[in-house]
Amino acid sequence: MRIDTFRSTVRGLALLLPMTWLASSAQSQMHAASTAQAYGISVSTPTVSQKSPFAVLPVGEAMATDQGQSVSVPGFVTAQDLFTIVTGDADDVDGSNAVSTATVGIVNLLNGLITADGVVAVASSTVGDNAVASNAEGSSLGNLVVGGVEVSDPAPNTRMDLPGVGYVLLNEQRPSGDGVTTSGLTVNMIHVVLQEPRLGLLGQVIGYQTVGNIIVGSATSSVTR
Amino acid sequence: MVRVRSLALLAAPIGVALVVWSCDPQRSAVAPMIGTPLAHFNVFQCTPLKITGGGRIDYPPGTADKNPPASHEYETFGAHVMDDNGDCSPEKGQLEWVDHRPEWNINGSPLNLHSITITFAEEATDTDCSDGAAHWGGTLEVKNTGEEAAFEVFDCDNGEPGVGHDGFAIRVPAIGYEVMCPDPELPPAEPACTLTGGNRQFHPTHR
Repeated sequence: MRIDTFRSTVRGLALLLPMTWLASSAQSQMHAASTAQAYGISVSTPTVSQKSPFAVLPVGEAMATDQGQSVSVPGFVTAQDLFTIVTGDADDVDGSNAVSTATVGIVNLLNGLITADGVVAVASSTVGDNAVASNAEGSSLGNLVVGGVEVSDPAPNTRMDLPGVGYVLLNEQRPSGDGVTTSGLTVNMIHVVLQEPRLGLLGQVIGYQTVGNIIVGSATSSVTR
Repeated sequence: MVRVRSLALLAAPIGVALVVWSCDPQRSAVAPMIGTPLAHFNVFQCTPLKITGGGRIDYPPGTADKNPPASHEYETFGAHVMDDNGDCSPEKGQLEWVDHRPEWNINGSPLNLHSITITFAEEATDTDCSDGAAHWGGTLEVKNTGEEAAFEVFDCDNGEPGVGHDGFAIRVPAIGYEVMCPDPELPPAEPACTLTGGNRQFHPTHR
């Protein structure tokens, strides 16, 4: 009986030990990482898919840029003076950082429903000895008018309804990561969610469905310890 | 004969001194300071270094406070430099700079500077940038006109977060352009302007 118990224990250990080795091995193989991307304009509908200018940090590189003097997606958005800059560095010893910026000059959405003059999106992530954090400091919206209403310095994730169109999220901030070994943030300064009503059997509105997105000024950064 | 020996004894140390002097690195040759000396960023050393990041500055005045967004009084940038050998000749580096101020709108677009070559990088040792500072530069293209010009930057990592602490400054004398904040009361240290967005990160293991 005791021999059987001993054998069972050995079999159990034989099964469990490799698992712990694999787990510890995977952990030891985790490397610092840094990602960043930014774009000026993005339109995504069933018939239109456009993102410009668009900069993505290549793996192993420290910087990438893209720009456009003007961008037009008829019926959806026109914009001028668009610049995107992404930087980052993954360092196992000293810590990592990533910074993305997207700037847009004069912008006009949905034939004047939303206008702005000076959109800045900044996302910054850093991991060091004592801190893993991300922030959107430096982001701003200039001369923003939504449906004829001036909006200054909107708080993060401010939502305004756009009757017949959907709604808009201003200064949208979407964090990611666990805050311990990873941290990330996406900042979308103007995010229009295009919606259509869902109709019931009797033609009544029973809800709304998203049919597209327009984003102006987007910056994303993330780091892994 | 004695006189010849005496002359030889005198000449030998002078010759050795001349050889040693000639081997001493002439840092000013690879890292020219453009313009007048500054209160800080005057003492440099060639050492391995790496500094990365980017963000936003609101100049003028270049303090930690943002200007009103509608004013367009701000600059955005990305910049990195790496000198692995510590010889003040960086192996890698890049600068992208956009000045959104209306007065710097050239040929219908915001001033856009893009580096061509990075020719020098040196650690600044007389600053109060807690995590490290660098003075580096090279040549760039003014994208609005195609003009090429020399530039230098003053780069400061003053802890975390970067906003309100780190700093950056640039000077392009050939086009009369500079974003410098020579105010001794300004944190972190002159001549760098304080970041209102983003971060600069100096990597100490490259020191």
